[in-house]
Amino acid sequence: MAEPEYTVASDSETTGEEKSSSAFPEIAIGIDIGTSQCSVAVWNGSQVELLKNTRNQKVMRSYVTFKDDAPSGGVSNQHTHELEMLSGASIFNMKRLIGRVDTDPVVHASKSLPFLVQTLDIGVRPFIAALVNNVWRSTTPEEVLAIFLVELRAMAEIALKRPIRNVVLTIPVSFSRFQVTRIERACAMAGLHVLRLMPEPTAVALLYAQQQQQTIHENMGSGCEKIALIFNMGAGYSDVAVSATAGGVSQIKALAGSAIGGEDMLQNMMRHLLPDSEIIFSNHGINEIKSMGLLRVATQDAIHRLSFETSVQIDVDLGNGSKICKVVNQEEFQEVNREVFEKCESLIIQCLRDAKIEPDDVTDIIAVGGCSFIPKIKNLIMTICKRQELYKGINPMEAAVCGAALEGAVASGINDPFGSLDLLTIQVTPLAIGIQADGNNFVPIIPRNTTMPARKELAFTTVHDNQTEALIVVYEGEGKKVDENHLLGYFKLVGIPPAPKGVPDINVCMDIDASDVLRVLAGVVVPGSQQAAIPVMEVRMPTIDDGHGWCAEALHRTFGSKLNLVTVQKKI
Amino acid sequence: MPLSVVSICQISLPIAPQVHGRFDTNKPMSRWRQRCSVTRCCYNRRAEERARAGKNYYELLGVSVDSNAQEIKEAYRKLQKKYHPDIVGQKGHEHTLLLNEAYKVLMRDDLRRDYDASVGHQRVRYETNYSGLSYSSWKGPLRPHALFVDENACIGCRECTHHASNTFEMDEALGCARVKVQYGDDDQNIEVSVDSCPVNCIHWVDREELAVLEFLIQPQPKEGYGVFGGGWERPANVFMAANSLSKQLKQQAGTPRNARATVDEETPAQAEARANASMKIKMERISRLWNWVNEILG
Repeated sequence: MAEPEYTVASDSETTGEEKSSSAFPEIAIGIDIGTSQCSVAVWNGSQVELLKNTRNQKVMRSYVTFKDDAPSGGVSNQHTHELEMLSGASIFNMKRLIGRVDTDPVVHASKSLPFLVQTLDIGVRPFIAALVNNVWRSTTPEEVLAIFLVELRAMAEIALKRPIRNVVLTIPVSFSRFQVTRIERACAMAGLHVLRLMPEPTAVALLYAQQQQQTIHENMGSGCEKIALIFNMGAGYSDVAVSATAGGVSQIKALAGSAIGGEDMLQNMMRHLLPDSEIIFSNHGINEIKSMGLLRVATQDAIHRLSFETSVQIDVDLGNGSKICKVVNQEEFQEVNREVFEKCESLIIQCLRDAKIEPDDVTDIIAVGGCSFIPKIKNLIMTICKRQELYKGINPMEAAVCGAALEGAVASGINDPFGSLDLLTIQVTPLAIGIQADGNNFVPIIPRNTTMPARKELAFTTVHDNQTEALIVVYEGEGKKVDENHLLGYFKLVGIPPAPKGVPDINVCMDIDASDVLRVLAGVVVPGSQQAAIPVMEVRMPTIDDGHGWCAEALHRTFGSKLNLVTVQKKI
Repeated sequence: MPLSVVSICQISLPIAPQVHGRFDTNKPMSRWRQRCSVTRCCYNRRAEERARAGKNYYELLGVSVDSNAQEIKEAYRKLQKKYHPDIVGQKGHEHTLLLNEAYKVLMRDDLRRDYDASVGHQRVRYETNYSGLSYSSWKGPLRPHALFVDENACIGCRECTHHASNTFEMDEALGCARVKVQYGDDDQNIEVSVDSCPVNCIHWVDREELAVLEFLIQPQPKEGYGVFGGGWERPANVFMAANSLSKQLKQQAGTPRNARATVDEETPAQAEARANASMKIKMERISRLWNWVNEILG
């Protein structure tokens, strides 16, 4: 008891207090790992600064190349030509593969990538391998991401001259909680602690809130509410958010997202240019990988040029005797990717509807991400919102990482004397969370777009007489049936006092805190007694680890409807 | 992680009384009612618990009972900046949950009305546009006739609330009775309470008329002109007013949107005349004020 102060205060904290608050060493850095590109930013005491690697790049390609010795990622390594990345030795697009099972269509679409993606279609993780000296060496998306994060961390530590531990990561809206745990695991493997995971468009919303706050300070105008529609589309995912911003508080009204992105457009175009490309490339021979790489580079280049030109000439020799010479124009590109654009439209419309915002009420439209340069994307957003122009004050490639860095500073408790960090994001849940009840139905307990932190409870009851056990199976998603949603975990409630069906009162409560930790609580009470019949169960979700694709099926096969629950009908 | 261990303890503690509290009420009810029942049964529990749960949503957000959406929104954001876990850490979790719940209820018109009814005070409606929703709810199937209290005539004798307490309620602020739930009691009790009214202010009306009548009987703020006017008013004969309002509504629904726009438009000459007139009124007001200042000073 004599000298607790000496042990409590760590060295770094004391030195931090001696210096100004801006040099406080524990400012979390913001990392935006995109499907194709990534960047790191930090609050440097007065503003957000993007960190550069040794080659002076702020935005780096996300990939990891496997070699005989240690693997190297896109942060330190630089391929002399894009083609080297496509030789089969590099793994990229890991964000599209992480936490997905081999029945997922996104995994199937990844089979035409130069590295090996094998599926067995039974609901386990896919087999992924890189080609090293003519050997397919297996790896996992988590491992690849961790290797990459280690490089990013080393780069940030060199740039900031201090150890890095806390990070704020941006993730796509459509990520399930299971995918989030995979990201967290990759971070843990890289020695990083995830302070916050924020959906990409909400990071952009925070940056927007800060900009609005600053313009208000300059103009001394009134802090009126501004509604922003944020559309973020990168290589792997597209997300939409509607936020209401006033006085530095960015209140997210609704989120929507889907796993469609530039990669889908690229593959559609490749198929358009070489209709049987998937069959040719499916066996992953050395020559096929090479010609696939050539086609990929040429197509990618053509899509980039189509953002500025109305038609482009594609000339590529695939090496195996086949040549592609073709002129592609805007209309053709739009027709090939019609489904992608339609999906984008429906996302935006759905998000506006969920937020209960009319397109006329939107103050600013912000389009970010690599695909926001595509003219058709810009047009469709402006058409939906009946506007002539988009918000200009934000760099589309750096917005998300800047927002993450701001959140990192806010969540680390940093104060800014000029009020630039007087910010707050009020997040909402991107997907509904509920349990299986009423047979095979998904009963949401926390609906989509509920303000976080959130706590909701719902009453259930037994379906059989003298049912003493109940299985609580927790799912996440938007489907009406459980098998359309992601399984998060399950636990058995035992010791329910024997009673006729419909009598025991089973209360399931879900609690999400601000750092997005989900806890599920379940308690039982028989009416008439004041006490809970058994101790309340508290489970932190997700609990399942691997093979979640077949887990639900196994549960159903073993227990059937023996341990089911039904919702208690509400009487008015 | 020591942090998460602490938070588990924090979370599991307040949950337990909630789980208990719920079971006191055998009828399953909607969420805000659950919370109310929790509040009530927590009264003899820890004092701190009561202080937290005993506050109503208006007190929690620090807004007045008749505040509008804009004020609630601003208050909510201001408080969030103070209590959000992003800013104060895990200890802000419980309070933020309450704030979120309060905000959700008060921002949605239907939930707010239910909440107001449950805590027993009557919100005076600022929004003067007619929403088409009636104040009272229905128990059982809709019937062709509905009960309506002409609050202009009501003397606040409480006879009706005595005989049919599930149907009628007293508005303590205005001192008159009002229908809370249509057919909330059985027909005989309702019959007795209608007959017992000494001033015969309980009327049977058509269901279609109910919403309009209930809208009009609520006092509306009266526009003030300096020291004159202001305060609250409602139509002296609510049935006459209801007739004309429903006629207006019907006309509006009948005329297409663009046709109405042309009616609203005025010729440039009219506009000029109107501008001149309003300018004149303003000038007059200023000159009156000026004279008055002169009188006082000189």
